[in-house]
Amino acid sequence: MKRSFENQPDMNESQEDDYKRFVDRIIKNNREIFLLTILLDKQMCGYDLIKEIFLKFNVFLSMGNVYPTLYSLEEDEILRAEFSRGNMRSKNYSLTPKGREIALKNIEEFVRAMDHISAHIKR
Amino acid sequence: MKIVLKGVISGLGRLLSVEIPQGSVILVTGAEGTLKSGLVFSMISNYLAADGGHGLYVTLEQTKESHFKNMISLGLKKSDNLQIFDYRDMRREWRDCDLDMIKLTDEVIDFYRDKHNDLTFFALDSLNALYSLSEESNLRMQMYHFFSNLRERGLTSFLIMEVPPLMNPGQFQDRNRPEHFLADGTIELGVIEDKGGVKRYIQISKMRAAKHAMEKHQLMVDENGINILGPIY
Repeated sequence: MKRSFENQPDMNESQEDDYKRFVDRIIKNNREIFLLTILLDKQMCGYDLIKEIFLKFNVFLSMGNVYPTLYSLEEDEILRAEFSRGNMRSKNYSLTPKGREIALKNIEEFVRAMDHISAHIKR
Repeated sequence: MKIVLKGVISGLGRLLSVEIPQGSVILVTGAEGTLKSGLVFSMISNYLAADGGHGLYVTLEQTKESHFKNMISLGLKKSDNLQIFDYRDMRREWRDCDLDMIKLTDEVIDFYRDKHNDLTFFALDSLNALYSLSEESNLRMQMYHFFSNLRERGLTSFLIMEVPPLMNPGQFQDRNRPEHFLADGTIELGVIEDKGGVKRYIQISKMRAAKHAMEKHQLMVDENGINILGPIY
């Protein structure tokens, strides 16, 4: 059964393969931006972030990339990590004030870059 | 290119006559309490502090914090360029899933290689834990690729492996295991009892492309860290 993902346009099978390939590449190469975008709205653990990206884009980010990314962002004081009350199983990440500022700026630049590229290759 | 290790531990020059080639994969074996983690941590940390570059120390047995605490208790210092990584969060949050720890470890290495283009060292603590968390089917083939990937990335790697204590003097560790064939070098650590009491020792039993001593040398740890003294016998 064909599964539909959030805001995915209608396509035939071959278009869908190409679309998936590009979305997959963009998200994996810019995983930090996508993780920060999700964390703008709510705090989450690594497991939920991977799940959220999968549900939104049908892209499975590897744990071996996501967790080191989260640790690096925490070291750089962009994210803070804490265990939620009564749940020592998962560590939730949220943006620090400095991190929110950096995230908003980077997201804006990323969107601008994507728009610029789209505008130039659109026929 | 050679990795200049001789000066990073006091007395290591007694064992190594020449430096080891970059990208060598070295097994560090020994029973519990023989300073395997301390020796590897110390060699990498001291090298990075003196010569720069970055290192990655992956611990499967302990958390990053408890490992670090143990190293501090031995008087060992951590270089800021040494990244310690553990799987605690991943294993807690994905506890209902079978994790492919070999693949995950490869991905973690790739992440830090992308982050630091001068990643020089990799350490895994321990190979036993990696085996026990991995699917047994095809493990030999997976390990062959794991070792090859480390070499191809040019990472000088130390893989820590706990082995049962040797019961008789002169007895050798079981070298019939695949990791011994795959590794470029083997450093054995142990304890030995003689009239002077119990002593820790270090012995290089194999080191491809590097001339080395074969004797067991005494290993000591004091407030200055780890020191290698003369031959035990």
